[in-house]
Amino acid sequence: MNRPTEISQKLDWQFWISIPILAILPFVFPYTALATNVLIFGLFATGFNILLGYTGQLSFGHASFYGLGAYGTGLLLVKLKAPLWLGMLGGVGAAVLGGLIIGYLALKRSDVYFSLLTLAFSQVLYFLAFQWRGFTGGDDGLRGVPVAHVFGLDLSEPLNMYYFCFVFFIIMSYFARILLRAPFGKAIRAVKENEDRAITIGFNAQRVKLISFIISGIYGGLAGSLFCLHLRFVPVDVFHWMTNGEVVFISIIGGVGTYFGPIVGAIVFLLLHDIVQLIMTRWELVVGGVLVLFILFFNRGIVGYIEGAITSYRERKALIPQSGQTGGR
Amino acid sequence: MNIIETKELTKSFGGLVAVDNVNFQVEKGELRAVIGPNGAGKTTFFNVIAGRLPPTKGEIWFKGENITHLPPYVITKKGIGRSFQITNIFPKLTVFENVRLAAQAMEVTFNFWKDVTYLDDINRRVTEILERLKLIDYKDIRASNLPHGLQRHLEIGIALASHPELLLLDEPTAGMTEEETEGMMELINEISKGLTIVLVEHDMKFVMSVSKNITVLHDGRVLAEGPPNEIRNNEEVQRVYLGKQK
Amino acid sequence: MNRPERGRSPFPADLEILSGEVIPISTEVLLLQLFIGLSLGSIYVMMASGLSLIFGLMRVVNFAHGSFYMLGAYAFVFTLSLLGNFWICLIIGPIIVGLLGIFVEWSGIRPLYGTEEYNPLLLTLGLNYIFVDIIRILFGLGGIGSSVPEALDGMVNLGFMMFPKYRFFMIVAGAVVVILVWLFINKTNIGMVVRAGTKDNEMVQMLGINIKLVWRLIFGLGIALAALSGALIAPITGLVPEMGMFMVIEAFVVVVIGGMGSFMGSIVAGILVGEVIAITNLFFAQAGTVVIFVLMVIVLLATKAGLFGEG
Repeated sequence: MNRPTEISQKLDWQFWISIPILAILPFVFPYTALATNVLIFGLFATGFNILLGYTGQLSFGHASFYGLGAYGTGLLLVKLKAPLWLGMLGGVGAAVLGGLIIGYLALKRSDVYFSLLTLAFSQVLYFLAFQWRGFTGGDDGLRGVPVAHVFGLDLSEPLNMYYFCFVFFIIMSYFARILLRAPFGKAIRAVKENEDRAITIGFNAQRVKLISFIISGIYGGLAGSLFCLHLRFVPVDVFHWMTNGEVVFISIIGGVGTYFGPIVGAIVFLLLHDIVQLIMTRWELVVGGVLVLFILFFNRGIVGYIEGAITSYRERKALIPQSGQTGGR
Repeated sequence: MNIIETKELTKSFGGLVAVDNVNFQVEKGELRAVIGPNGAGKTTFFNVIAGRLPPTKGEIWFKGENITHLPPYVITKKGIGRSFQITNIFPKLTVFENVRLAAQAMEVTFNFWKDVTYLDDINRRVTEILERLKLIDYKDIRASNLPHGLQRHLEIGIALASHPELLLLDEPTAGMTEEETEGMMELINEISKGLTIVLVEHDMKFVMSVSKNITVLHDGRVLAEGPPNEIRNNEEVQRVYLGKQK
Repeated sequence: MNRPERGRSPFPADLEILSGEVIPISTEVLLLQLFIGLSLGSIYVMMASGLSLIFGLMRVVNFAHGSFYMLGAYAFVFTLSLLGNFWICLIIGPIIVGLLGIFVEWSGIRPLYGTEEYNPLLLTLGLNYIFVDIIRILFGLGGIGSSVPEALDGMVNLGFMMFPKYRFFMIVAGAVVVILVWLFINKTNIGMVVRAGTKDNEMVQMLGINIKLVWRLIFGLGIALAALSGALIAPITGLVPEMGMFMVIEAFVVVVIGGMGSFMGSIVAGILVGEVIAITNLFFAQAGTVVIFVLMVIVLLATKAGLFGEG
């Protein structure tokens, strides 16, 4: 029977190829910790991408999830001496709760108002973390996160930490892939493409957006949690809107609405950060310049362009000769 | 049996009364046309029934149930489908996906793991609809690349995919050539079997030939109602709208 | 982006005027703080009206507004070092930056019309990084100082209280600018186009008016307003490359509270926010900015689009 053809299915190989590539990444990179950061930021960006690329909502306050995950895990591990799994669960749980509250309120408005509402919440959290010195360590950050052990492996060993994060990344990427092919994944796209019609055909757009927001937050919370374990320290900046700026950059460079985008974007961002700083002190100039260039000329990001080329090719092949149409946008 | 009924339905925007105390009933299986000069309130009327606009006063009853204050997505699930006067499709998605989404929305939204490729029932229905609407050859084409006439077909296809019992069509032939309009007429005749259709239209030839009954709106009020011949010969209607055309 | 150093407050230096250490708070202190809030409000009004004009007319969310504020401060101080005349430089600095703004609109924002709505936003986000670093390269990381000109130094005696002269000047300057902009919007032909365009963008374009030129001019005007605010505040707070990064967020809060696209909203909200920050900082140092976020959330959820905004 006629099965629908969707681009993401044809590019399924992206997921399978990413596994060996990421498996050897620490050996290709200048140092392992950098590769671990790629995974962490990539994870964060994957969730952000689900919200931006597929649901069409630009959040300025995604740092809230990152911070809640980081502090949630850190505080449980430091203050309550909780076991690792509980710490991580707590961090992600805090992010989910935050997502529910922030999402419910912020989604009452749309576009730039939504964006600014999410920003407001993250700044409030930043302020709380900053001021509540006794609890969170204030601007000194939360220190003393104990070394974690997983199945006897010491996570203070860079490679161990890397593969620990690697496992989570692969699982969450796989989940993203499944999600986007599932009814819910299609629903969020409908909301993005034409929210009005989506509602008219029977989708509860508000709930769809909220669930998408929360799911996106789970990724952010998990990334924050791993970040906390990786650094064994939580800087108060995790809540800052500039952290959100970083994940925005990664998403744009990699390609919004693509599968491989977040990882590619994370690699570019982190490599830029390290390499440029070796050559010149003013690396933010480069970051800004790259972002501007991409917005103007490579709007769909690196991966977006590759996928776009493939789509155009397929469309040209699928057209009926007599309709007289040409392919492409 | 009346499938849909409005009781003293009123919608005003500040001082402007767009829909004025409308009592409207359509029998199940009927094909009703709603006509009237521009500004008569036809689209607003549709918008209120479909839940997009809250009524200022009055009630809407569908299949014996009061649907007056339900949100639009719930109303669709109750069995009312709607197409738009200004094409309102998902431009960047394929024709197949456009219709598939509408079919899917009726059945499942919050499933996070099942691949939609394997939702066979839904896919089968979509294929059927595309075949009926002569869109099957274009199923993989981006909707925005369709010529206007076919986009109007898609408009209806999306509405049909919600397997509605009542279909509201807002100017289905908008922007169409005469030839395309004839095609649309055939289409509507064909899909009207087993379905109740209320359509807003300006093309008189079309309206006169397909409708069982016609409701004429003027300044938000029902001016006249009845079978095409009665309406054609109604002097008030002629004066206000038809301009003595026959 | 480089974070402010450890221990240093992330909130603008200008606000650490009086922390909650004065107990009890005398009327004099309160009045002084209200007055300071008004001068701060003056800055916010200018920032917000520029931002609001740009959004109302062009639907562009200009995230680089803070950078232009910063550039205005630096341009002012730099020309001052060359020309020496406070008043001339106060005009020239913003004009230079305004022209830069027009260049940015021409080269960066114009090409993005018709693409995703968030593209200009992201572009301007990227511009921040560029501008801040360029200033760091040109003028150093640590920032530079500036001082109040002699003519405006000292206190002015208002009978019941002594107020800092320069702050008084800031309020007056703000009022003059507001009046000029109001006259421009309501009494000129271009202003009419702006008003119409804010209400109905498409219609105005269809009327055949060269709306694109108007957009460009308005963008430049908005930027010049931001630059002027920076120039005005520079003598009091000094300059650091990052000074715009905090201000831009606050400016957005003001615009949202007042209502995007509403000039009246910018005025009311600007003064309101300035006062809220000043008074809050009296009782709880540095909580000012957080309080206005809470205020923004409340206003946004209670109204459709701010106090004077139209959804």
